[in-house]
Amino acid sequence: MKRLVLLFGGIFLILCGCSKERNFDERELHFISPEKIVGFDPIHASDMYSGNEVGKVYEGLFEFHPLKRPYELMPNLAESLPSVSEDGLTYTFKLKKNVLFHDSPAFKDGKGREMKSDDIIFSIKRLADPKLQAKGWWLYDDKIAGLNEWREKYASQETTNYSDEIEGIKKIDDYSFSIKLKKPYPQFLYALAMPYSFVVAKEAVQHFGKEFLNHPVGTGPFILPVFDQSNRIVYLKNPTFREKLYPSEGEEGDDKLGLLADAGKRIPLVDKIVVDIVVESQPKWLSFQKAKADLLEIPKDNFDSAVIAGKEIAPELKSKGIRLYANAQLDDTFFAFNHDDPLFKNKKLRQAMSVAWDRQEANKLFYNGSAVESQSVIPQGLGGYRKEFKNPYVKFDLEMAKKLLAEAGYPNGKGLPSITIQTRNETVARQMIEHFAKNLEKIGITIKVGMNTWPELINKVTKRQHQMYTMAWGADYPDAENFLGLLYCPNSSPGSNGSNYCNPDFDNLYKTATILQDGPERNIMYEKMNEMIALDMPWIFGFNRTKFYLSQAWLKNYKFMEFNHSQFQYLNLDLEVKKELIKKF
Amino acid sequence: MKTNTLWKDAFKRLSNDKLALVALVIVCFYFLIAILSSLGFVASGWSQEVGASNLAPSMNHFFGTDIFGRSVLLKVIRGTQIAMSVGVAASIIAIPIGVILGALAGYFGGWVDDIITWFYTTFSSVPNIMLLISITLILGKGIFAVYIALGATSWVTLCRLIRGEVMKHKEREYVQAAGAIGGGHLRKLFRHILPNVSHIIIINTSMQFQIAIKSEVILSYLGLGVQGEPSWGTMIDDAKLELVRGVWWQLAGATLAMFLILLAFNILGDALRDALDPKLKGK
Repeated sequence: MKRLVLLFGGIFLILCGCSKERNFDERELHFISPEKIVGFDPIHASDMYSGNEVGKVYEGLFEFHPLKRPYELMPNLAESLPSVSEDGLTYTFKLKKNVLFHDSPAFKDGKGREMKSDDIIFSIKRLADPKLQAKGWWLYDDKIAGLNEWREKYASQETTNYSDEIEGIKKIDDYSFSIKLKKPYPQFLYALAMPYSFVVAKEAVQHFGKEFLNHPVGTGPFILPVFDQSNRIVYLKNPTFREKLYPSEGEEGDDKLGLLADAGKRIPLVDKIVVDIVVESQPKWLSFQKAKADLLEIPKDNFDSAVIAGKEIAPELKSKGIRLYANAQLDDTFFAFNHDDPLFKNKKLRQAMSVAWDRQEANKLFYNGSAVESQSVIPQGLGGYRKEFKNPYVKFDLEMAKKLLAEAGYPNGKGLPSITIQTRNETVARQMIEHFAKNLEKIGITIKVGMNTWPELINKVTKRQHQMYTMAWGADYPDAENFLGLLYCPNSSPGSNGSNYCNPDFDNLYKTATILQDGPERNIMYEKMNEMIALDMPWIFGFNRTKFYLSQAWLKNYKFMEFNHSQFQYLNLDLEVKKELIKKF
Repeated sequence: MKTNTLWKDAFKRLSNDKLALVALVIVCFYFLIAILSSLGFVASGWSQEVGASNLAPSMNHFFGTDIFGRSVLLKVIRGTQIAMSVGVAASIIAIPIGVILGALAGYFGGWVDDIITWFYTTFSSVPNIMLLISITLILGKGIFAVYIALGATSWVTLCRLIRGEVMKHKEREYVQAAGAIGGGHLRKLFRHILPNVSHIIIINTSMQFQIAIKSEVILSYLGLGVQGEPSWGTMIDDAKLELVRGVWWQLAGATLAMFLILLAFNILGDALRDALDPKLKGK
């Protein structure tokens, strides 16, 4: 009898284990990151995906308003927008009080201490520390008085002395400090809102040493005690988070969309955020279908099953309450040359390659025809973009390509070595290069594909070990300077100019234009630079993409945001709706 | 009286096995295709567009077309060339390593055996796919890296078998006789023992071959294999996205080609073992 009981007990337990009920009582949101995360050190968060993760744990002085468009900065760790001296050079900042770092063994008693102006100064110094080779240094390079000198001074020394003061950065008291710029830098506040500038604690950096990138200790809305480099990141609500409220105003119409329903509530609005790293498109699509993800960028091959006639959401998805968002991106895709390679000093060759590529077909194959062909470096939607401008080398004309190639000294590709393009280890990325290669073969150019994991690709570009590479660049802040800077000579690798392109005329204009305040004068200069560089073909310009997102009905407060690293704290979840709709999945 | 040698005997045995003959024909056919393709007689125009993107199989396009409108059939044939070349190259690298190390270990025994045994045990305890990935990462990507990676990882079984067989043979009378008339170690080993264990090499090669093909497909699927050439692995990689849209023919083409050759090698390998291994004779 006893055995029988044991047997039945055993079977019962097994059956219980099999019918794993999903628990819908927890206020948790699920997202997908399509790339591996480089780590949680803000100064190295150069790609959008790492920036998104860093932004959940760390914070900057400013952030973009989650609802207002055009994008507007609002104070975050700062008490208010800074007061700026008359010459536009000295910025005085005031900090919020009672902002606590996350609890961490790095601090005395394990309790997070209050964030003060020393921490901001320390974080800026870290970005400039020559020993750390921060990926975000380009943002501050030659901007703050004395910072470059400080950096150069320690470049040759064994260790960097952080207590050594910098001329342009002055602590006034624990909650205020001032920064003096070398020359006007209108994008400075944007720079302070980027993940690179997010505030870290000195104790944590010292305590964790090299492991710091796996032990984020910030002031942000969510905590992540250890990042174990696995494919699932689980953030918990920060219990010591200050009182921060959901905004009560937004763009016109936000009210109707229900985006202001949580106005005045204390954020974060959920207890937990789970991010799964899923590189492949198919599993991404399936996990959204099974309601294991709350937001999804529609993978290219699922486009037809999600969107009808290029704009309407499929009825099957609609019946589950799923919503569709189509948003033109502030981004560029491109095939970049490494201009260190003597081969690419040949302008005609670059132009020939561009003209031989059938962009229209690529658009149809890879973007379902929804992308816009880039004429130059500035994407549509930013000052400096002129709709009427057409680049004579952004078109498909095989005869012209052959002619240009002959003029370049390689008639029918004779004498031209094969060219390797590095890209991400991903099916569509490979297919894009295959498509490019197939096109260029017609004029006698041989293209090879090099496949890399994301960190491997970044590493190759940083160390200039590439011949060509493909990349997409999303705007860090709403200013064309952010795109033009990708071709500014002093930003060459390891900076953001991974193509190591140098053009003195362009650089001179860049220096003049980027210190101007936003306005028509600056836009005219941007236009001039944009159109001048277009003819030179420093890259093979690709597309400005439209991204299509799907969100589950229970995801609340979602509004497409180009600079979304701080957006997650504002998102909410309607559990009742989820419990109801989940039956349909 | 005319006596049959082992080889003649084996050939007779093999020719009686209908299934094995079919398998042999298939293998020869694949080799033929691979050779013709590498000489440029067939499938040289695989990269040309033959129709619209993703056309379903029809009389004009036997296996349909891929995303760029290239013929899937030609890609399968080109993939055959890659797969077979990987099999051959991996065998050419693996067989000498396996045979020489195995023979030395088996013949000399003692510390030589200890070292070699330790080496291959360690080697085989590392999961093969990990080893393959790390070798291709070090050597850079491309077909040569795949050759070397597969060659360098697939010699262990052969080495073990040869070692055991040589151990058995070295005490036999004919080896002692060779020693008695003044034959040195190397002569005894390579002139007398090896020819008597060579059937193992043949059996093993046919088994190795299919492992090499499979591994190439896996590596290419992961993006670590051949670059810029159609491989069954990259075709399957393409297909995993296209399947959603009902584009099944690229997957079907690649897997069918792979299925046939792997099955053929399996059957042939079994038949060869039956024919050549005296221990299994008559079973």
